[in-house]
Amino acid sequence: MPVTVRLPGALRDVTGGETKLTASGATLREVIADIDHRHPGFAARVLDPSGGIRSYVNVYIGEDDARARGGSGALVPDGSEVMVIPAMAGGR
Amino acid sequence: MRLVLPRNLRDEIVAHAREAAPQECCGLLLGEDEVVRRVLRCRNVHPTPETRYVIDQAQVFDAFRESRDFDRELVAIYHSHPRSPAYPSPTDRAEAQWPEAGYVLISLRAESPEIYAYRIGEKSVREIPLVEE
Repeated sequence: MPVTVRLPGALRDVTGGETKLTASGATLREVIADIDHRHPGFAARVLDPSGGIRSYVNVYIGEDDARARGGSGALVPDGSEVMVIPAMAGGR
Repeated sequence: MRLVLPRNLRDEIVAHAREAAPQECCGLLLGEDEVVRRVLRCRNVHPTPETRYVIDQAQVFDAFRESRDFDRELVAIYHSHPRSPAYPSPTDRAEAQWPEAGYVLISLRAESPEIYAYRIGEKSVREIPLVEE
Protein backbone atom coordinates (compact mmCIF):
# COMPACT_ATOMS: atom_id res chain seq x y z
CA MET A 1 0.00 0.00 0.00
CA PRO A 2 1.47 3.39 -0.89
CA VAL A 3 1.99 6.19 1.58
CA THR A 4 0.59 9.70 1.27
CA VAL A 5 2.97 12.64 1.43
CA ARG A 6 1.55 16.07 2.24
CA LEU A 7 3.47 19.26 1.63
CA PRO A 8 2.72 22.94 2.09
CA GLY A 9 2.80 25.23 -0.91
CA ALA A 10 6.26 26.28 0.20
CA LEU A 11 7.58 23.11 -1.45
CA ARG A 12 5.33 22.94 -4.47
CA ASP A 13 7.94 24.52 -6.73
CA VAL A 14 9.82 21.21 -6.76
CA THR A 15 6.77 18.97 -7.18
CA GLY A 16 5.17 20.61 -10.17
CA GLY A 17 2.51 22.22 -8.01
CA GLU A 18 1.45 19.05 -6.22
CA THR A 19 0.96 19.23 -2.46
CA LYS A 20 -0.40 15.73 -1.94
CA LEU A 21 1.47 12.85 -3.47
CA THR A 22 1.49 9.11 -3.21
CA ALA A 23 4.80 7.31 -2.91
CA SER A 24 6.21 3.98 -1.94
CA GLY A 25 9.13 2.88 0.18
CA ALA A 26 9.85 1.05 3.38
CA THR A 27 11.87 3.89 4.90
CA LEU A 28 11.59 7.63 4.79
CA ARG A 29 14.70 7.79 2.63
CA GLU A 30 13.08 5.44 0.10
CA VAL A 31 9.84 7.42 0.08
CA ILE A 32 11.76 10.63 -0.58
CA ALA A 33 13.80 8.94 -3.31
CA ASP A 34 10.60 7.75 -4.96
CA ILE A 35 9.29 11.31 -5.12
CA ASP A 36 12.66 12.61 -6.24
CA HIS A 37 12.59 10.15 -9.13
CA ARG A 38 9.45 11.89 -10.40
CA HIS A 39 10.36 15.36 -9.18
CA PRO A 40 14.13 15.81 -9.32
CA GLY A 41 15.33 18.21 -6.69
CA PHE A 42 12.83 17.17 -4.06
CA ALA A 43 15.32 15.09 -2.07
CA ALA A 44 17.79 17.97 -1.95
CA ARG A 45 15.14 20.15 -0.30
CA VAL A 46 14.48 17.58 2.42
CA LEU A 47 17.79 15.80 2.99
CA ASP A 48 21.27 17.15 3.53
CA PRO A 49 24.28 15.91 1.54
CA SER A 50 24.93 13.17 4.09
CA GLY A 51 21.40 11.85 3.75
CA GLY A 52 20.01 13.15 7.03
CA ILE A 53 16.95 15.37 7.38
CA ARG A 54 17.96 18.97 6.74
CA SER A 55 18.19 21.06 9.88
CA TYR A 56 15.48 23.51 8.89
CA VAL A 57 13.01 20.94 7.61
CA ASN A 58 10.66 18.92 9.78
CA VAL A 59 9.21 15.58 8.73
CA TYR A 60 6.42 13.70 10.44
CA ILE A 61 5.32 10.13 9.96
CA GLY A 62 1.77 10.11 11.19
CA GLU A 63 1.91 11.88 14.56
CA ASP A 64 5.60 11.31 15.10
CA ASP A 65 8.59 13.50 14.41
CA ALA A 66 10.71 11.41 12.04
CA ARG A 67 13.88 12.48 13.88
CA ALA A 68 12.63 10.66 16.94
CA ARG A 69 12.13 7.50 14.87
CA GLY A 70 15.56 7.33 13.29
CA GLY A 71 15.60 10.25 10.88
CA SER A 72 15.71 9.43 7.20
CA GLY A 73 16.10 5.75 8.05
CA ALA A 74 12.77 5.71 9.91
CA LEU A 75 10.40 2.97 8.88
CA VAL A 76 7.27 4.15 7.10
CA PRO A 77 4.39 1.72 7.60
CA ASP A 78 2.08 1.01 4.68
CA GLY A 79 -0.71 3.53 4.45
CA SER A 80 1.10 6.15 6.53
CA GLU A 81 0.76 9.86 6.04
CA VAL A 82 4.08 11.69 5.81
CA MET A 83 4.21 15.46 6.22
CA VAL A 84 7.18 17.59 5.23
CA ILE A 85 7.10 21.08 6.74
CA PRO A 86 9.87 23.65 6.35
CA ALA A 87 10.87 25.48 9.52
CA MET A 88 9.79 29.05 10.17
CA ALA A 89 12.89 30.82 11.32
CA GLY A 90 15.03 33.93 11.08
CA GLY A 91 16.21 36.71 13.31
CA ARG A 92 17.96 40.04 13.56
CA MET B 1 -1.12 42.19 -3.36
CA ARG B 2 -1.68 43.53 0.12
CA LEU B 3 -2.11 42.21 3.63
CA VAL B 4 -5.15 43.10 5.71
CA LEU B 5 -4.41 43.23 9.45
CA PRO B 6 -7.29 44.58 11.58
CA ARG B 7 -6.35 47.06 14.29
CA ASN B 8 -7.13 44.73 17.20
CA LEU B 9 -4.88 42.01 15.76
CA ARG B 10 -2.15 44.53 15.06
CA ASP B 11 -2.37 45.56 18.71
CA GLU B 12 -2.16 41.91 19.73
CA ILE B 13 1.10 41.22 17.94
CA VAL B 14 2.59 44.47 19.26
CA ALA B 15 1.61 43.34 22.76
CA HIS B 16 3.25 39.98 22.09
CA ALA B 17 6.44 41.71 20.93
CA ARG B 18 6.53 43.89 24.04
CA GLU B 19 5.90 40.98 26.38
CA ALA B 20 8.66 38.93 24.76
CA ALA B 21 11.28 41.73 24.67
CA PRO B 22 14.25 41.62 24.86
CA GLN B 23 13.64 38.30 23.13
CA GLU B 24 12.10 38.02 19.69
CA CYS B 25 8.50 36.91 19.58
CA CYS B 26 7.04 34.90 16.71
CA GLY B 27 3.76 33.51 15.52
CA LEU B 28 1.33 32.92 12.70
CA LEU B 29 -1.26 35.24 11.21
CA LEU B 30 -4.10 33.01 10.07
CA GLY B 31 -7.12 33.84 8.00
CA GLU B 32 -7.99 33.56 4.38
CA ASP B 33 -5.87 34.61 1.41
CA GLU B 34 -4.73 38.16 2.26
CA VAL B 35 -7.00 38.82 5.27
CA VAL B 36 -5.83 38.04 8.81
CA ARG B 37 -8.60 36.73 11.09
CA ARG B 38 -6.62 35.54 14.09
CA VAL B 39 -3.21 35.52 15.69
CA LEU B 40 -1.55 32.30 16.80
CA ARG B 41 1.20 33.17 19.26
CA CYS B 42 4.00 30.64 19.00
CA ARG B 43 6.94 29.67 21.14
CA ASN B 44 10.37 30.85 20.04
CA VAL B 45 12.51 27.78 20.60
CA HIS B 46 15.81 29.14 19.26
CA PRO B 47 18.57 28.85 21.90
CA THR B 48 19.45 32.54 21.47
CA PRO B 49 16.01 34.14 21.28
CA GLU B 50 17.37 37.67 21.79
CA THR B 51 18.55 37.70 18.19
CA ARG B 52 16.97 34.71 16.47
CA TYR B 53 13.70 32.86 16.24
CA VAL B 54 12.48 29.41 15.33
CA ILE B 55 8.79 28.74 15.71
CA ASP B 56 8.14 25.60 17.73
CA GLN B 57 7.69 22.97 15.05
CA ALA B 58 4.98 21.21 17.06
CA GLN B 59 2.77 24.31 16.77
CA VAL B 60 3.36 24.54 13.02
CA PHE B 61 2.64 20.83 12.66
CA ASP B 62 -0.63 21.14 14.58
CA ALA B 63 -1.73 24.15 12.52
CA PHE B 64 -0.84 22.39 9.26
CA ARG B 65 -2.49 19.12 10.19
CA GLU B 66 -5.67 20.70 11.49
CA SER B 67 -6.18 23.05 8.56
CA ARG B 68 -8.21 22.03 5.56
CA ASP B 69 -6.15 24.36 3.37
CA PHE B 70 -3.10 25.59 5.23
CA ASP B 71 -1.64 27.43 2.25
CA ARG B 72 -4.75 29.57 2.04
CA GLU B 73 -5.08 29.95 5.80
CA LEU B 74 -1.50 30.97 6.45
CA VAL B 75 -1.56 34.67 5.63
CA ALA B 76 1.77 35.55 7.22
CA ILE B 77 4.49 34.64 9.66
CA TYR B 78 5.36 37.36 12.16
CA HIS B 79 8.29 38.05 14.41
CA SER B 80 9.79 40.97 16.26
CA HIS B 81 13.08 42.83 16.10
CA PRO B 82 13.46 44.27 19.59
CA ARG B 83 16.29 46.63 18.65
CA SER B 84 16.63 46.66 14.87
CA PRO B 85 14.49 47.94 11.99
CA ALA B 86 11.36 46.22 10.76
CA TYR B 87 13.13 44.99 7.66
CA PRO B 88 14.20 41.41 6.85
CA SER B 89 17.73 40.85 8.09
CA PRO B 90 20.22 38.68 6.20
CA THR B 91 19.24 35.84 8.54
CA ASP B 92 15.55 36.41 7.83
CA ARG B 93 16.24 36.25 4.12
CA ALA B 94 18.54 33.23 4.32
CA GLU B 95 16.10 31.20 6.39
CA ALA B 96 12.84 32.20 4.70
CA GLN B 97 11.27 29.08 3.22
CA TRP B 98 7.68 30.21 2.75
CA PRO B 99 7.63 32.35 -0.40
CA GLU B 100 3.84 32.30 -0.66
CA ALA B 101 3.31 33.66 2.85
CA GLY B 102 3.76 37.19 4.02
CA TYR B 103 6.40 38.02 6.60
CA VAL B 104 5.34 40.65 9.12
CA LEU B 105 8.07 42.33 11.16
CA ILE B 106 7.53 44.39 14.29
CA SER B 107 10.33 46.68 15.43
CA LEU B 108 10.45 48.03 18.96
CA ARG B 109 13.53 50.19 18.44
CA ALA B 110 11.45 53.38 18.71
CA GLU B 111 8.80 54.28 21.26
CA SER B 112 6.13 53.81 18.62
CA PRO B 113 6.35 50.30 17.14
CA GLU B 114 6.99 49.93 13.42
CA ILE B 115 5.22 47.17 11.49
CA TYR B 116 5.83 46.25 7.88
CA ALA B 117 4.97 43.27 5.69
CA TYR B 118 7.08 41.62 3.00
CA ARG B 119 7.30 38.76 0.59
CA ILE B 120 10.65 37.07 0.88
CA GLY B 121 11.66 35.07 -2.15
CA GLU B 122 14.82 33.17 -2.85
CA LYS B 123 16.54 36.26 -4.20
CA SER B 124 14.25 39.15 -3.45
CA VAL B 125 12.47 41.06 -0.70
CA ARG B 126 9.37 43.01 -1.63
CA GLU B 127 7.37 45.16 0.73
CA ILE B 128 3.64 44.63 0.52
CA PRO B 129 1.06 47.17 1.72
CA LEU B 130 -0.25 46.51 5.21
CA VAL B 131 -3.76 47.86 5.68
CA GLU B 132 -6.29 47.71 8.49
CA GLU B 133 -9.20 46.69 6.25
